[in-house]
Amino acid sequence: MPTALETFLLVRPEIVLVGGAIAAFLGGAFAGVRRGWLVAVAAIAAALFIAWAQPGAGLLAADAAGRGSIVSGPVAIDPFSVYVRFTVLGLGLVLALVQAGDIFPAAVSRGATVWRGGTCEEAGTFLLLLAGLALVGVADDLVLLFAGLELVSIPTYVLLALKRTDSRGQEASLKYFFLSLVASALFLYALVCLYGIGGSTRFDAIAAGLRAGGDGMAMALLPVALGMAMAGAAFRLAAVPMHFYAPDVYEGTSPGNAAVLSTLPKVAGVVVLLRLVGLAIPGPLGDGTVAPGAAAYTDLFWQLAAVLAALTMTVGNVMALVQTNLRRLLACSSIAHAGYLLTGIAVAAAAAAVGTGGGRDAIAADSTWLAGLGGATATLFYLATYALATIGIFAAIAYLGHRWPEWTSGSGPRPPRQEITSVEDLDGLSGTNPVAAFAIAVFLLSLAGIPPLPGFWGKLTLAISALEVDWNAPITLGSRRAAFVALAVILVLNAAIAAAYYLRIIAAMYFRSTKRGVQADGGLAAGIAMLACLVLVGLVTLQPRGLFRTSAAAGGAISRTPVVAAADAMPGSLATPVATNR
Amino acid sequence: MNGLTPGMHLVLVLVTPLVGAIVAWVLGSRGYTAVRQSAAVTALITLVAAIWLVVRYLMSPEAAAGQPYGVVTLPWLVDGMFDVRLSLGLDGLSIWLFGLSALLSLTAVLVSWKAIQERPVGFYVLLLVLETAMLGVFAARDVILFYVCFEFTLVPLFFLIGIWGHDERRKAAIKFFLYTLAGSVLAFLGLLTIVLWNASHTGTVTFDIDALTAGLAAHPLPMNAEGGWLQLIVFLALFAGFAIKVPIVPFHTWLPLAHVEAPTGGSVDLAGILLKLGIYGFLRFSLPMLPDATALAAPWIFGLGVAGIVYGALVALVQTDLKRLIAYSSVSHMGYCVMGLFALEPVAVEGATLQLVNHGLSSAGLFALVGMIYDRYHTRTIANLGGIAAKAPWLAALFMLFTFSSIGLPGLNGFVGEFMILAGSFQRAWGGVSAAWRTAYLVMTCLGVAGVVLGAWYMLWAVERVLFGASREPPKGAGTHAPGTPDHGHDAHAHASHAAATDDLAWYECAALLPLAVFVFWIGLVPATFLGPTAGAVRGIMQPSARAFAARMQETRVPAGTDVVALPTLSHTP
Repeated sequence: MPTALETFLLVRPEIVLVGGAIAAFLGGAFAGVRRGWLVAVAAIAAALFIAWAQPGAGLLAADAAGRGSIVSGPVAIDPFSVYVRFTVLGLGLVLALVQAGDIFPAAVSRGATVWRGGTCEEAGTFLLLLAGLALVGVADDLVLLFAGLELVSIPTYVLLALKRTDSRGQEASLKYFFLSLVASALFLYALVCLYGIGGSTRFDAIAAGLRAGGDGMAMALLPVALGMAMAGAAFRLAAVPMHFYAPDVYEGTSPGNAAVLSTLPKVAGVVVLLRLVGLAIPGPLGDGTVAPGAAAYTDLFWQLAAVLAALTMTVGNVMALVQTNLRRLLACSSIAHAGYLLTGIAVAAAAAAVGTGGGRDAIAADSTWLAGLGGATATLFYLATYALATIGIFAAIAYLGHRWPEWTSGSGPRPPRQEITSVEDLDGLSGTNPVAAFAIAVFLLSLAGIPPLPGFWGKLTLAISALEVDWNAPITLGSRRAAFVALAVILVLNAAIAAAYYLRIIAAMYFRSTKRGVQADGGLAAGIAMLACLVLVGLVTLQPRGLFRTSAAAGGAISRTPVVAAADAMPGSLATPVATNR
Repeated sequence: MNGLTPGMHLVLVLVTPLVGAIVAWVLGSRGYTAVRQSAAVTALITLVAAIWLVVRYLMSPEAAAGQPYGVVTLPWLVDGMFDVRLSLGLDGLSIWLFGLSALLSLTAVLVSWKAIQERPVGFYVLLLVLETAMLGVFAARDVILFYVCFEFTLVPLFFLIGIWGHDERRKAAIKFFLYTLAGSVLAFLGLLTIVLWNASHTGTVTFDIDALTAGLAAHPLPMNAEGGWLQLIVFLALFAGFAIKVPIVPFHTWLPLAHVEAPTGGSVDLAGILLKLGIYGFLRFSLPMLPDATALAAPWIFGLGVAGIVYGALVALVQTDLKRLIAYSSVSHMGYCVMGLFALEPVAVEGATLQLVNHGLSSAGLFALVGMIYDRYHTRTIANLGGIAAKAPWLAALFMLFTFSSIGLPGLNGFVGEFMILAGSFQRAWGGVSAAWRTAYLVMTCLGVAGVVLGAWYMLWAVERVLFGASREPPKGAGTHAPGTPDHGHDAHAHASHAAATDDLAWYECAALLPLAVFVFWIGLVPATFLGPTAGAVRGIMQPSARAFAARMQETRVPAGTDVVALPTLSHTP
């Protein structure tokens, strides 16, 4: 019988984060404003260490046979939540460095800064945001899930509002606030419907309800539940139809906040959607069929996700083509990447209904890829590669800070320096700041999916998982396989479209020259964050296996029902030859 | 050095340019002389090592047995559904293109000797990185490794064109990158489908090209309505990638722009090697793995090849810019390779494979020479040039040599390739197609022959105007852009420390061109040296498609059999 203490012990890292936040809030009153981000970095590092030392961390390293989970009250520690926790804390550490750099510009003493000094409040708020996100990962219960999501949203409003130094900042924070409220409300409706289906807030009860299915009213709520959940998640992913806020909000806030917005809410959206897919993976029921309730659920799920994926990546990329403002451009790019992430989620949902469609086949019978866990793996892998590159770019922009306008002595007083906002502001960066230019170019090429950078490995996993859906069925018009083949084609063509605007930035940095100096006054910490991302990108480029393995372990665990055990017993599985290949 | 295993040797050849790139980067602070010297030394070491490897290959039992040589396999992404390996090896199909890459990389470094003085570190680092990528494409035995190298070649070339190119370099770089990327992402999906098909039918997940070829031979992709025409879909996906890369008309529009705007070193690599990747891709994947779809599409692509020959030649005829003329001649000459390949006749495919090397030599030589002329006169406009032969006889002589090589003068390399392609095509037209196709094939092949005449016309006419006649100096400012543009004077080199207009070839220019000239004669006089090692591999690779084509044409003849133009007769053509 789980005790409350046991449950609390399972979320020690999150408790450390909240403790750090309180320390930052309170300590700020005494220790001066500048220590806040040091506290944040220290708290995240401590949380990482505790998460590492805690039971459950080993789950990621265990292979299929050793998968398990620790469930206590509303908290579940399984490979998936461990992966999410490490991702969140790792990204959080880098993001804290970006923020720290952007809040303590090295050039403050040289005057003329447009950024106000950093506050401990921001650091504390950021820690709360991270704690909420990690809780979303470990939630095994609708209530904790929603609480975690709100603990992500509310600090985000505060972060944005604390930065509102001009009308654009105000617009950004207000826009985000109202839209986020709507999204949260929609998502709450979805949770209520799910509660109606399961008669409980616990995931396993809801999954059982879906499996039993068929009892009129509850199942009639499915489309409502899924539509609402998708809308709520779409806001966090910045996916169509809830995408339009992104360019305005990114433009109106600091690079550090934009980095937070373009990654952490996406993690939340992906986690929520994968957990919802996981509900419908109760495993094959003896004869290889899935209960009709679960089948209806996954069918609707993949159709929604696939349509939104195709729309989102296309809309994001086409919008990005015409942007000149750097942050707006990156916002559109992040919309497009939400579309790629949704592709993996659609695959996960489609293949979760294995046994209902084109029959079980050789590839789907592989224990890892059964039930669309390949899609989940691809999504998680892609999420990490995307986040590294995106945070890297924003870190570089934060690090670069300002540049001087063109000015020659004798033509009047020197005009004030300007924040880097547009693509033109990066003109000739390869000459003035070659390291930053190189880093940005690598990140952009990775986002564009140019081999052998991480983005390429991400698109490889996504494309291969999409091509695998219903592998043995012919590609006929209207079939599920045709839909996913089309989705894969749309994905790679979008990657080519996206290359157009990424190349535009690279061309500005390398093919143009400038007389305007870049100050690199954003602070050392952001520079370190940029280099850290560069090193990580390099590591994944050379050896993607580590990240892939952990993503596969996590993706295989989006449902805690032991699908693996059932699948391993199946003959003709691909798992065996693969294992001997190693 | 018996201790050096072939595999280690191959890895060394691939890694040397990367090490050289790092050395060049480190030496960057010591001025451009040190950088270019280190780059040249690196390229030279790589070339020597590559030639040595090629010689070892030719003498190895693997070459005789048609086995891959120097196989190295390291795990890269081996987990779950993935079995991606850093798997390297050479075989008869790739051996000459591998050697050609090493050779032309040295040429590319040497032709940039004086021309690139601005940001030399980046330039030479990129050239060397590009060399590794090019060598990697031909050495790759893993689908993903092949694709990684295939695609990665775009990145260095993008920067080479965009930073060191001419007036419209930014537009050219981006267009080149996007156009080829858009095609190759589709090819990527096609390759993945092949891998999945093989995995689901053999029960083994593998990305190894040879294993895939064997797997698809045993379990061909469906080419019927029940199977959803999957083979045709995959073929079209691969076609999108490879046809743009070749380029096959009408997908060629990126090429003239990229060539004209690229710096000379970039043009050499682009024309010499990168255009070959498309044909190489067809040979590696489409022909052996997708025989039925290849057989279905072959007449149409054959026609596109012929269209490319004629169209490229006609457009070349009216060019006023010498470099653009040679760029269009590349379109025309790659048309021969396409034609030979999709004739699906052994002699034609062998000729096409040889023609890849031939075109690599002649077009690289011509682009290098155009660059040298530009260095001297700062113009490429034909009307502004004249009488170079009197001022720079060696330059003129080499220009003539590569021109003759390009137009297929007997005794030089171009003749052998074009002759084999046309002979094979006629053979196909006479006896290898059904009655319904015969006329069409004959007409197309005759047009291909007409292309030879057109090729001689535009090349010799250009040579006559540029090399001979009255000596002409370009008018002031011609061919150079207006001074004081805000760009960081990318053409600053055009005004500084240049060979005076009357100078003949300098030592580095000779060193860049003479090795190519040696091979121009060698292939022309003793083609058996080069045809022999590839013949077996080429026939093996085209066999499935040729069979399928014969079946489609309802003929019982086995094309790889008797009625083949015998190789020895060709080796004595002069």
